[in-house]
Amino acid sequence: MDINTKKLKKNAFRVTKERGLTASRIRVPGGHLDAKYLLVLQEIAEMYGNGTLHITSRQGFEIPGIPFEKMPEVNEKLQPIIEGLQINQDVPGQGYTSSGTRNITACVGSRVCPYGCYDTTAFARRIEKAVFPNDLHFKIALTGCPNDCAKVRMHDFGIMGMTLPQFEPDRCVSCGACVRTCAKKSVEALKAVNYRPVRNEEKCIGCGECVISCPTRAWTRSRKKYYRLTLLGRTGKKNPRLGEDFIKWADEDSIVKIILNTYEYVEKYIDRNAPGGKEHIGYIVDRTGFEEFKRWALKDVQLPAIAEVYTPLYWKGVKY
Amino acid sequence: MGFQLNEQGFDALLSELSREYVIYAPKCFAGGNTFTDVDCIRYGTVKCVRDIVFDRKSDYSFKEAFLPVSETLFYFTEGETREADAPRKKGAVIFLRSCDLHAVKRLDEMYLNNGPEDFYYRRLRENTKFILMGCSQSFENCFCVDMDSSRSDNYSLSVDRKGDYYYVDCRDESLHALLKNNAAGELAVEPEYVRENKVHVHIPDNLSIQAAKSTIWDEYDSRCIACGRCNFVCPTCTCFTMQDLFYSENGKAGERRRVHASCMVDGFTDVAGGGSCRRKNGERMRFKVLHKVYDFKQRNGYHMCVGCGRCDDVCPEYISFSNCVNRLGDAMEEVEKHEK
Amino acid sequence: MRNEYIPFLSEIKEVIRHTPIEYTFRMAYKGTVKPGQFFEVSIPKYGEAPISVSGIGDGYVDLTIRRVGKVTNEIFENYAGGSLFLRGPYGNGFDLSNYRGREIVIMAGGTGLSPVKGIVDYFADHPQEHSGMTLIAGFKTPNDILFLKEFAKWKRAMDVILTVDCAEGDTACQIGLVTEYIPELKVKDIRNAVAVVVGPPMMMRFSVQGLLERGFAEKNIWISQERKMCCGLGKCGHCKIGDRYVCLDGPVFNYTEGKNLID
Repeated sequence: MDINTKKLKKNAFRVTKERGLTASRIRVPGGHLDAKYLLVLQEIAEMYGNGTLHITSRQGFEIPGIPFEKMPEVNEKLQPIIEGLQINQDVPGQGYTSSGTRNITACVGSRVCPYGCYDTTAFARRIEKAVFPNDLHFKIALTGCPNDCAKVRMHDFGIMGMTLPQFEPDRCVSCGACVRTCAKKSVEALKAVNYRPVRNEEKCIGCGECVISCPTRAWTRSRKKYYRLTLLGRTGKKNPRLGEDFIKWADEDSIVKIILNTYEYVEKYIDRNAPGGKEHIGYIVDRTGFEEFKRWALKDVQLPAIAEVYTPLYWKGVKY
Repeated sequence: MGFQLNEQGFDALLSELSREYVIYAPKCFAGGNTFTDVDCIRYGTVKCVRDIVFDRKSDYSFKEAFLPVSETLFYFTEGETREADAPRKKGAVIFLRSCDLHAVKRLDEMYLNNGPEDFYYRRLRENTKFILMGCSQSFENCFCVDMDSSRSDNYSLSVDRKGDYYYVDCRDESLHALLKNNAAGELAVEPEYVRENKVHVHIPDNLSIQAAKSTIWDEYDSRCIACGRCNFVCPTCTCFTMQDLFYSENGKAGERRRVHASCMVDGFTDVAGGGSCRRKNGERMRFKVLHKVYDFKQRNGYHMCVGCGRCDDVCPEYISFSNCVNRLGDAMEEVEKHEK
Repeated sequence: MRNEYIPFLSEIKEVIRHTPIEYTFRMAYKGTVKPGQFFEVSIPKYGEAPISVSGIGDGYVDLTIRRVGKVTNEIFENYAGGSLFLRGPYGNGFDLSNYRGREIVIMAGGTGLSPVKGIVDYFADHPQEHSGMTLIAGFKTPNDILFLKEFAKWKRAMDVILTVDCAEGDTACQIGLVTEYIPELKVKDIRNAVAVVVGPPMMMRFSVQGLLERGFAEKNIWISQERKMCCGLGKCGHCKIGDRYVCLDGPVFNYTEGKNLID
């Protein structure tokens, strides 16, 4: 059997421990899809695989037990899912064009969750459209609010929803719910002055708990949606670490631009001799220094006036 | 007398009215509700008929037009007081539903009849015209039919939107000419009203204050979070709390305002010495429910609740007021059995 | 149209300190006031609070105010020549004709003595108008006793039991709850004797219970309720109990009515 493993990996298949068998990896940006696609997956798993399906840690699917020679047929079968989820593709019918940039994950967000500050799946799909296909090893995750159920701080780019609470004093009845809730569930950014809440703008993390607790709509959400962008968290062997805050009160356009800028930066500075041509961005930044990264990342980025950029950044984590 | 108006005609009517009146109607506040991208329907001033939301019940009631959520009453200094100006100089035209128009009677009862007349309420209540928005069908949680508030005739105008036209019944002589000038046609109009709600309530005939002793209230101790939303959205809740703001160090200059209050929220009964009544949320629920369907009637001869169902619509814990009312029969049975 | 919310300015004629936290303000007032009625008093840095009339005289009313927290200290210390904003009087008050010519028992707990003080004063000044009177006044500790100087005067005109819940060292008063003195009340015709009970909710409940057990008729007992009130005008809703508004229908209730009021 003669198989180009580099090529099959790029095509979103896998070399598995069982000789001759591969697994097909299906990306689901934002982790939300029409249920009808499950039938397609079932068909592939039962027809070509071993009848099982793995739900991956990155919110995709992996269909194991597929003989290498069935890859073209599987790719054909995958076409409705690839099209349905609007995945960018070079040649229709030939499966995924690349696999380096991983599936973009998201919590369920405001489509379902009361805490969600934005439609996480929609933003994930927007980012997917902008960055995929790409062979570079990027991990991007989105979460609806600062609870970070999607664990975005473990990713190169972590996007956390925020709302800028709007206060209409004349609708406030001094019930104290927002002040109590902020203190108990969030960061104690509110205190009552003259019967009404005053927001500590520096402290506020934009979680929206005040809005949720307000019984009179004195607190409402900002029309504009804001995000906290965290940088360069990772798992892995050498130095797993949590992403650090880069920008608070960022906007969608800036985030997309920063990610695209980072691709250019990585193209320029990646160690071409790294095993498998694969290097976590964090190690590259360690090499070039944060300032150089920042210069590339913020090129032509127009942040909203309210945005706060944190610099320089230092990461902690476990070092082995 | 009835009229048919097209959108242009109705806008012209509103524009004419707005010379002498501030026009309040349920409006859509885009993204203005609790959760992301969820609209809030509540009262605001409108300029054209498109601004008015006809196809949904407002989340908050019209009462904010008479009883501002927060209203400064007067300013004080060491030796003097100065009455605050009225929030509006003009009269008011208020678009509301039949249940709400019945609620006006309750507000009047409290603010004009229960004890001396309320200066501030009277000031905003004066020179108000009501435009009844017909209900072609019941909304979720409404129980106006059982509360006898599904029909009203004490309006200046009624309005029903059907297709591209607005059908108006005018009961206010002073507005006849205005309607005639802007109407596309004249015809008999009867406002739409709800004949049947999905939700029914039954208030037992033998209901007495003894129901307070029932155990039905206990479950609300843990279910209710005492947020007060049920009160704040209610068109008949009238309670307020006084607040003094001090401009000077010695506390002798400042302003006094009143803000809406809720009998469900902590602090409603706190007295200076530290005492309070109804510490348990179930007791507060009992106090509220019995006020709406029992003791207000004892005092005034008719029920306070008008069956708009907004309290059910808004409760984050899915506590249903109407369901609670329907348990009062069991409550009476329980306490009467106990008595025997 | 009259604006009932606008207060009038009243001169502070005198301040009498009872305890470190309780003071009586003698306020200029001309008009008819009954014991048990109350005024809404604007307390600088605090806000408006309903305060019972604790004394009524020619051109003045006494208002006994408890200092609440640190914010209100100032008016208690800088009162000379000052004035306060008042509204009122509000509420029904005690009707002295209900008690004239009868045997009277007054039971007061803590600041509950303020609203009944007008009755006690009246019958102390007109002893011929009652046919036997007992005052049982209870406080937490000797330091909490209100109107201490008046007790001597009252003792000359009626039986007075001054008791405290607890005391350290020597004290001139008795120790025990007011309810403990109900069994030894000297009343000749218990079915026609009248009683007035004012104090904290628990004290009122157990005192009334004790009086009923002694044979007092429900219709001969009056209580006065203390509630949060923001208006005194039947509007704000804070004082409502059942279908009654304490500010309009009370604060004084005959027990036949008061017993049906469930908070």
